[in-house]
Parts: sequence; structure tokens; C-alpha cells
Amino acid sequence: MAAIKYVNLYFKLVSAGVRAQMQYRFAFIMRIVGLITAYTGTAVTMWVMLYQFQVLGSWNFFEMLFLYAIAILSWGFCVILFLHFRSLDTYILNGTFDRFLVRPINPFFHFMAMKFDMASFGQFIFSLLIFIWVSLELHIEWSSGKVLFLLASIIGGILIQGGMLVLISAIAFWTTKSQQFYWVVMYPARNLTNYPLVIYPKIVQWIAAFVVPFGFVNYFPAAVILEKGTPFFPASIGYFSPLVGLVFFIIAYCVWMLGLSRYKSTGS
Amino acid sequence: MPRFHVYWIFTKKAFLRSAVYRFDVWSRLGSNLIFLLMWGSIWTALYAGREEAGGISFQAMLTYIVVSQFLTGVNGAGTPLWEIQEKVRTGDIALELMRPFNVPLRYLFADFGSVAFYIVTALIPIYAMLFIFMDFTLPTDVFTWAGFISAAFIGFLIRYCIEMAFGLLSFFLVETGGIEDIFYFAMSLLSGSVIPLWFFPEWLAKIAVYLPFQGIYYIPNAIFIGEIAGGEILLSLGLQIFWVLICYFLLRLVWNRASHKVVVQGG
Repeated sequence: MAAIKYVNLYFKLVSAGVRAQMQYRFAFIMRIVGLITAYTGTAVTMWVMLYQFQVLGSWNFFEMLFLYAIAILSWGFCVILFLHFRSLDTYILNGTFDRFLVRPINPFFHFMAMKFDMASFGQFIFSLLIFIWVSLELHIEWSSGKVLFLLASIIGGILIQGGMLVLISAIAFWTTKSQQFYWVVMYPARNLTNYPLVIYPKIVQWIAAFVVPFGFVNYFPAAVILEKGTPFFPASIGYFSPLVGLVFFIIAYCVWMLGLSRYKSTGS
Repeated sequence: MPRFHVYWIFTKKAFLRSAVYRFDVWSRLGSNLIFLLMWGSIWTALYAGREEAGGISFQAMLTYIVVSQFLTGVNGAGTPLWEIQEKVRTGDIALELMRPFNVPLRYLFADFGSVAFYIVTALIPIYAMLFIFMDFTLPTDVFTWAGFISAAFIGFLIRYCIEMAFGLLSFFLVETGGIEDIFYFAMSLLSGSVIPLWFFPEWLAKIAVYLPFQGIYYIPNAIFIGEIAGGEILLSLGLQIFWVLICYFLLRLVWNRASHKVVVQGG
């Protein structure tokens, strides 16, 4: 089976990267501490914001934390699998991308398996602690159905955000720029979705649902779990999150492969 | 006495250099506007149709956020901190140390150039349109305008000194990790860049008042919307000047210690 071969190969490739990272143990721990601090900082900002106002578009502090934690958890996996796609432009400009083309495996897969950022443990620790705290505060009853739904929508979220990173990196095949598009498109979009979509103008909500489907990363699934209304959208829209993720990722993959077929080395 | 005409050249060069990297300017403006949309929407939702909250009218609050986002653009247009840290890490900073100028001042003057380019070509046109087409509060008298512009400028200097002093700490700590994140979080929250100090819990507001960060965004923003007015403007400017002196002193201290202790790492 080709799939199993690729899974084995993936772990073999990333384990080399993991061992390399563990050589700098102090730096590694500091990065995890840094990540957790940064996310806690945003959570504290949310708390200060709601200190006087109590609710933001009918979402209270704990509901917002929950929304935030879902985004962070799926982003953590995204960092491991896809974040380095944003620097595809550097590889193309330096000519180092060519080495992914001369090996007898799928170049997309090879590029994906090149890096494995262990510091994502920061995201996992943070979001898990938040899940536990929020579940206690809001008395969320975790039936097995709900847990399954949460896991499925996190996979959906990984595929959506990963697909977006893949799409952004594909731009580099045409323009030899991708990193900057990450900072213009993806970084602000991720920040936007830390807050419930309902507060934004209708057009933005619509774009976040049907064009750049970031609404399916956390807002729609969180609304289902917390049983909150999603004005302008049917209440059950959150259930489509995994499907949207899958479709979006396949589109992104096809665009990437199309770009690859047009790719000519810069020759440097 | 530093010879300012030397530094002035850095300003001109940086201005011209920004003109070459137009794509950078546009992409930075794009993300600035997305964040403006985000904070505008957040505050609209927090007010939830109320005319005023905590004595601040909705219109004044929106103006506060717009001015704040404008200043965020101004403060973010200089040489990014990581670029200087990278020079420390690679040892390239040694080349700068050999030259006959004060390195922190040289970067400050270069920042003036790139910031001026960004303000003139991107920020002013867009934000002027916003003020023309939207219903924001504009100061009506010259005194407030003068107060705002001075406060914004001193705020820029405070931010520069603090950020640079902090960036130079990487001379001592090659790995800044978590401290850097705490620093940026403190700067964004306690400066009042997204939440004005009057909406803080009392204890937090008390802490913020005794820190230099409020001079970066809170004071200029509050002057602009008339929340700090009359004699208080002069008092606030005095406070800012006090902080800019302290922060500059701190920067010099860190710089002197650092330049005597350059460890050029091989590689």
C-alpha cells in the first residue's frame, strides 16, 4: 500500500528533524513558554475587554475562550504539518526547492515532511487547559457524540487552515512571493476569527463562510457545541466543517500541483 | 553633540529605499486595514447600539480606535526588531559598531525616513478618506492638533527606545523566547492601543498609569478625542517627556553595556 509506505516515510523524515530540534533543549523550552505566554496574552486582552461590557455580540468571556481554544488547537497541528509552506518562496529563490523534485516521491509530500515543529506543544498545552477550564465553567456535558464532533471539526479546521497555507505557497510558483501573502492574508484572517464572526459586517461573514472558509475552523463548530445562534446562517452549518475542510484542501492541493507543473527553476 | 546632518542622510536613504519596495507598503497597509475592521467591529459590538458607555460616546470610542490603528501603522513602519536581532545573531552588527556613528540614533533616523514614506503615500490618503466619509470626531482647535501631533511623536520615540533597548537585550540573552512575548503583550495591552485605560479594571489601570507604555497610544489617542483636554494636555506631554528621557537613558545604558560585550558567534 502506497499510503502506508508514505506514513512510514513521513515519520522517518520528521524524526530526523525532531532529533535536531532536541539538541537545543533550552531554546525549545523557551519557545513553548513563549507560545503559551503569547496566547495567554490574547486571552487576558479578551478578559479586560469584557470586564465592563460582559458580552461581545452575545458571547461571554468563557464562550470566547472556547472559540479561541478551538482555533489554537487546530492551528497547532497546522504549524506541525504546513506552516513551512509559507516560506516556499525562499526555497524557490535559493534554488533549494529543486531537490524536492529529483527524488522518487511526491514533491508535495516531500516538502510537507521536511519540517516538524515540536514547539506546537505550546498550542496543545494551552488549548487543552482552556478546554478543561471552560468545560467546568460552562458545565459542558461531553457526550461521546460531542467529542467526536469536536475532533471532526478540528480535523476540518486543520484542513482549512492547511489548505490556505498551501494555496498561499502556491502563489510562489507564479510570482516567487509567498511569505508576504501569509502576513497580509492569513495572519489577519486568523486574528479576525479569534472573535465571534457575528460581530463583523455581513459581507465579511459571508466571505468567511464561502470564500475563505475560516468560519468553519472555529465559529460554526463552537456555535454548535455551545448551542449558540449563528445569525444569517442555519444553526446546523457547523456540521459541515469536516466536509468543507476536505473540499477546500483538495482544491488547494490541485492548485499547488498545477503551479508545480508550471514551475521553472530560477537557476540560481 | 551628534552631527545631525550625518543622520539626516540615513533618513533620506530610507525614504528612497521604501519607494522601491512598494509592494511592502501596500501589503502592510492591507493588513493594517483588516485590523482596523476587526477592532472597529469589536467596539461596535461591545457598545451594542448604546450611545455611550462609561462616559465615552460611541463616536468618540470609534475615533479612538481609528487613531490608534493609524498610530499602529506609524509605529510599525520602521526597521523591524528581528532584523536587528538577526544582525546580532549573525555578527553583522560588528560592522555597524566599527563605523563612526551612534547605532541606535542611526536606526532612529532611518526609521524617520521609512515612516515618512509610509505616512505620505499610504496612511494619510486612506485615513483622510475614512475621516471624510465616516462620522468621526475631529479636533476643532489648533491647540489640540498641536498637542496630538507632539504626543504622537513623543510616543513614537518612547516606543522606539523601549523596543530597541529590549531588542538589544539579545546581546545578553541569545534566546529571548518567552520574555519577548510578555513584552509585546504588555506593550499592546498597557499602552491602551486597543482598549483605552478607562475601561480597565481599576487595579490594572493603576499599574498602567505608572508605566511608560501609555505614552505610546493612550495619551495621543485620548488627546485626539478630547478626553485629555486643556491644561491636562501639557501635563500629559510633560509625563511623556519624562518617560522618553528615562527610556532613552535606559537605551544608552543597554547599548553601552552591549557594545562592550559583543560576542561574535562564529558562522
